[in-house]
Amino acid sequence: MADYSFNGGIVIKNPYLVDKVGIIQASLPTKVVLPLQQLGGQVKPCVSIGGYVLVGQVIASAKDSFGVSIHASISGVVLSIDKQIIAHQSGLKSECITIESDGKDKWIDRKNNHVDFLHYSTEVLIETIQKSGIVGLGGAGFPTHVKIDKVIDCHTLIINGTECEPGVMCDDALMQFHPREIIRGVEILLHICGAKRVIIAIEDDKQAAYHALLMFNHNDRISINQIPTKYTSGAEKLLIKALLDVEIPSGGFAVDKGIICQNIATAKAVFDAVISHRPLVSRIVTVTGDGVRPNNFEVRLGASFEHLISLASPNKRMHNYRMGGMMMGIDVADINAPIGKTTSAIFVNNQVQKPVIQECIRCGQCSEVCPVGLLPQQLYWHAKSKNIEKALNYNLPDCIECACCDYVCPSHIPLASYFSFAKALGKQQTREQDKINIARERFEYREHRLERSKLERAQMMADKKKVLKEKMAKEQSQKQKIDEATQRVKQAKDKR
Amino acid sequence: MTTPIFSSTSWMMRQVIYALSLGVMAAYYFFGWGVLLQIVLGVITAIVIESAFLAFRGRDIISSISDSSAILTATLLAISIPSIALWWVVIVGVSFSIIFGKQLYGGLGNNPFNPAMLGYVFLLISYPLQMSTWQVDFLSLNHALEAVFNLGNIDVISGATKLDEVKNGLSLVGSIQQLEIQSPSQAWINAGFLLGGLYLLFRKVISWHIPASFLIGIVISSMLLWMSNVDLYLPTQNHLMLGGTMLGAFFIATDPVSASTTPKGRIIYGFLIGVLIVIIRTFGGYPDGIAFAVLLMNMTVPLIDAYTQPKVFGQ
Repeated sequence: MADYSFNGGIVIKNPYLVDKVGIIQASLPTKVVLPLQQLGGQVKPCVSIGGYVLVGQVIASAKDSFGVSIHASISGVVLSIDKQIIAHQSGLKSECITIESDGKDKWIDRKNNHVDFLHYSTEVLIETIQKSGIVGLGGAGFPTHVKIDKVIDCHTLIINGTECEPGVMCDDALMQFHPREIIRGVEILLHICGAKRVIIAIEDDKQAAYHALLMFNHNDRISINQIPTKYTSGAEKLLIKALLDVEIPSGGFAVDKGIICQNIATAKAVFDAVISHRPLVSRIVTVTGDGVRPNNFEVRLGASFEHLISLASPNKRMHNYRMGGMMMGIDVADINAPIGKTTSAIFVNNQVQKPVIQECIRCGQCSEVCPVGLLPQQLYWHAKSKNIEKALNYNLPDCIECACCDYVCPSHIPLASYFSFAKALGKQQTREQDKINIARERFEYREHRLERSKLERAQMMADKKKVLKEKMAKEQSQKQKIDEATQRVKQAKDKR
Repeated sequence: MTTPIFSSTSWMMRQVIYALSLGVMAAYYFFGWGVLLQIVLGVITAIVIESAFLAFRGRDIISSISDSSAILTATLLAISIPSIALWWVVIVGVSFSIIFGKQLYGGLGNNPFNPAMLGYVFLLISYPLQMSTWQVDFLSLNHALEAVFNLGNIDVISGATKLDEVKNGLSLVGSIQQLEIQSPSQAWINAGFLLGGLYLLFRKVISWHIPASFLIGIVISSMLLWMSNVDLYLPTQNHLMLGGTMLGAFFIATDPVSASTTPKGRIIYGFLIGVLIVIIRTFGGYPDGIAFAVLLMNMTVPLIDAYTQPKVFGQ
């Protein structure tokens, strides 16, 4: 068991009691809302209002090679294409396609493919992945086909089977119940990127998942590694450190070192797309918290949070809703918001009095758990006073906003929020500074140009004057010659 | 093992106050009720003054008082001054600590200097006589009240602290070996604070960096001096067991607000405080140097912090 684990991080036991990790098939929603916005821009709808769509039918496609297609996740009628509430802290609205279900769940024509994927070229496979709407299902939502296509000399493919946040168990369930599909999916990814080896990383508290994958793995290029259960192990750079003892430089990318990271759920989605010809229309979502009976649900994309929460037998109390996780997740204002490709978990917690925020006493608990080795207590000081320059001296951009510091802070200061705010402020300031610099450069160039043309003109005048002078001198000498000649003629005349 | 978390900053402050109780009990055993009287006076002053100042600043009084930081400051200062000092000494000292040491900077978390030590130095410079007269015997409650509130003509057998005594004696005798340099009462009090400090370490309320480097600083510097001349300089064990060494190492230098905050920085900070204490004790004009050493090192904290940043991942 390789362990080059990074410093810091926190160990949290799953705070919510789970009877048995499973995957429950969620009932079909009556309506789905599919946002058109994705990482890198909006996609263009290719259906019209009132049109009938089948499950798996492309309803919006990317304008460029970066974006991925969006598919109908239920069969029914397109109700509207307009702004709808999405999962966001303040209930932001965004352009979405809304489909009303006909309850029949009719699929597009899917030819079952028994041809070995090795017969396909990598280009075809990459196109299939893009057309199937696959993005990184761990949380960031980076398009998989871009990530896997980008790398030239890939030696290691890492499959991230660590649960990204404490309490989330969707990947655990996926590994327990779909190990065969995951291994096949990994093999497809391996075939595409041409890596020498694959490491599947699993946290050591997921023994069932580990053994399930071991049983189905017969590929000697794939190894399955257990790593200590610790929060932020799921962060790409830290996972690479823990597995390979390679530190990706600050500001650099894993691909620069020939390493690709993919999520375990992404591998399963690749299997579905390539082998089963099933585009990404559903995902596994953990519903947990003390307001529900925690478990995993396989749910169609675009179903509302409310639909899913109602299936997890919620209690009757007032709840707080949080998407993603207890650490890095965001509070969701409106549970009519749709479940997206990156919604890994929904936390439903009974509303409680939030602890009082006290002053920072610089006790340093935060810097002890910071996985990147920052000094949050110093950063906080500068972020609070909006002194971005000082905050940059304390390596603000390296903060991964994992919120380990929030978790241990005895004063309950929302440190990570301060840092994310300071980062945004810093970017804004840089942009403004850039604008000022450009304006100044233009002004200076103009001054320089004016000066130059003035000089040029002066030079020209001088040249002209010189030419004129020469001309005049020449004329003078000619005149003199003529005068001399007439003089001579005159003298000659006089002599005679 | 899951990562431990502290429920609140107030909880940490209260742990420090509880941890002080062992040393306070030892002091009570040797000096009697005066010790407790000073603490009570100090704490009442702290609460009244801080409340008044918070009201003046328009801040929430209850939440700030309940963080217990003012009570801790008052307790630390009250422990540091002689138990028979007149009642107004502790009141003036604590008021100075709270107003000039803390509230004028913006309250908890914003003060560059250790408030208790600022108050202590203020008293030491302003009222040197009051601050250097310690009683020798156990005082009953009645006697303590009479002494502190100057009620009757009570005879308290008083004297200087051991460190002071040694310093004065040395100038008369010329060799430390002819002096009595043991002080069982101070040794026991130091032992009490040492135990309390170990409790704080065990609960992870403080980290080991400052106390350890503080004590190592004292050991190394005093050892070098002692080895250079055994007649002139106190042996190391006496430095450790006299004065406020353990109180300083575990309770005063570890004040997180005014101390260095990086691991490396804490080691430098603690070590230099230890060295400064020995230097001030040996060559300075005051008997003990903890307050001065801590305040001097408080000033260097921004510099130390800036140059001892830990290595950042990927850099």
